[in-house]
Amino acid sequence: MQNLRNAILSYMRVGIPVKGPSVQKWLNGHCELLRACSTAANINQDQIMNRVIGLVKKFDKIDSAKVTEDADFQKDLSLDSLDRVELVMAFEEEFSIEIPDVEADKLKSCTDVAKYVKSKVSETS
Amino acid sequence: MSVTTASYVARRAAQKERVCTLYRRALKDTLNWAVHRHLFYSDADALREKFEANKHVEDIELIDRMIAAGEATYNKWRHPDPYIVPWAPGGSKFCRNPTPPPGIEIIHNYGMEERE
Repeated sequence: MQNLRNAILSYMRVGIPVKGPSVQKWLNGHCELLRACSTAANINQDQIMNRVIGLVKKFDKIDSAKVTEDADFQKDLSLDSLDRVELVMAFEEEFSIEIPDVEADKLKSCTDVAKYVKSKVSETS
Repeated sequence: MSVTTASYVARRAAQKERVCTLYRRALKDTLNWAVHRHLFYSDADALREKFEANKHVEDIELIDRMIAAGEATYNKWRHPDPYIVPWAPGGSKFCRNPTPPPGIEIIHNYGMEERE
């Protein structure tokens, strides 16, 4: 919130045409405001990955110590097909997206899920 | 012999997919019917138990009949007004802020170009 406030204030401030560092500062503030106002630009791959891994660790049928980025849900984490359905539903709720049946079969590890979510989020924004 | 085996395997795979799809839809529908989140958990467990009860059925014809019965039950109890994610097709925010077509760009410093 403080960032946004500063960004707006620096945007509202009248830019005095002076050569030097103050012009640079004004430009920076302008860009910051634009960035703060768009939610999609703030979400990056690492944040999505952290959320995915946190969610998988919380799933009660999974041993949270085994969870890694590339662990296969079915082989390494010993989930059956119905557990995977539940997990995909949890992802849908976490990221507010709809995952069609065909795509749900392809999501085999946290990396796949993060990639898919990233493509979905950038599509809707 | 191999033809019958292959067809058996294919049929089993198709059944597995149907069961997964049915479970997925039924689980979502359970959430639609649940007024509160804590009511959903027990309903979801009950649904899972219904599926788990027939886990070891081997008779392929019987499985087909069971899936058909399950799909009929699902269709009978389908929610008339299901939850749709706002940004998904059919949702309340679908196409609300579409991205501008390619080739259109916003000039943020219009009229102030010479100042920079």
